Amino acid sequence: MKFLVVDDSSTMRRIVVNSLQRIGFDNTVEAGDGREALEKFDPSVGFVITDWNMPNMTGTELARALREREDGKQVPILMVTARSVREDIIEAMEAGVNNYIVKPFTPQILKEKIDALMSMAAAG
Amino acid sequence: MTARHELLYDTEAALRLVDHELLEHRAPTEPTHAEVLSALGSPPSASPSALAALPSLLERVTAEIQHVLTSLRNSRDALQTATVEKIQRTSEKLKEVTSATEVAATDILDALDRAQAHIDDLDSADEANDHEKARASRDLLREEIFGIMGSLQFQDITTQQLAYASSVLNDMEERLLSLAKLFDPAAAFSHAGVGAPDPRTFDPNATVTNADQRQALADRIFEVTR
Repeated sequence: MKFLVVDDSSTMRRIVVNSLQRIGFDNTVEAGDGREALEKFDPSVGFVITDWNMPNMTGTELARALREREDGKQVPILMVTARSVREDIIEAMEAGVNNYIVKPFTPQILKEKIDALMSMAAAG
Repeated sequence: MTARHELLYDTEAALRLVDHELLEHRAPTEPTHAEVLSALGSPPSASPSALAALPSLLERVTAEIQHVLTSLRNSRDALQTATVEKIQRTSEKLKEVTSATEVAATDILDALDRAQAHIDDLDSADEANDHEKARASRDLLREEIFGIMGSLQFQDITTQQLAYASSVLNDMEERLLSLAKLFDPAAAFSHAGVGAPDPRTFDPNATVTNADQRQALADRIFEVTR
């Protein structure tokens, strides 16, 4: 399973990638914003973890763009963001985000959300 | 156009009106200092009709000045309310940056202390040839190192808080420049030239606090809507 990790903070990308490695996912590709993520996205990407606030293209814009692509309609999208007001969470959901993690997060939460989304994807 | 901009516009318009009125009623050439002093010491040379018009002129000018003062007062109130709120919020954010940095540093130092103890345990396990204890110590050491990495998330959040503070400072600068230009439109004011951060790159509400409650809210919303 290839993970696309999108965040404009290189620190956060390292933390997420490291957390993924720790829970057994070594295949990752990184992007600094939504636009770069769209360029790097291909059918081999099985999971997208994205921040919200980024230059050029935000996480919700990325989610909408992916949902418009044939190869991005079904990919699980997990948003990891500092934004946590009700309206933001609903907006993310409407954009096509499948689950939501609030920063700062624990590796345990990350694992739980990934497991849950993978189970949902497997169940179809 | 926002209410603040309308007030500034009104104020500027009123000031220009007063300027215009004064110009209209001023003598074609400005009297010199000496002429003024001489006029003060001698009987008025103005015609009776000009003198008769003076009270109404003064009345009009007074009304315009009162209008200007009211506009300025309103402008000041609008600016003050918005500015004070933003500055208070920014001040809170900056305090939070300090506390988040301190909490993260303390967490990391604590984790390093524990990691040091695990290394000591590893040494003693080696000496005793206790593989089980060595493995347990290694696992604990890995946990600590991983925990340190998690603590570094404060960097992303404090970056957003500082970006918010920077955007407020930029906003304040713009307002002060607008106000200064209002009083002297012809003057050239120097701009700090520091670009405001892209508002898409930060969340003004970013915080390291109450992560559990905020996560619970997100979970509830996704659970209910699913």
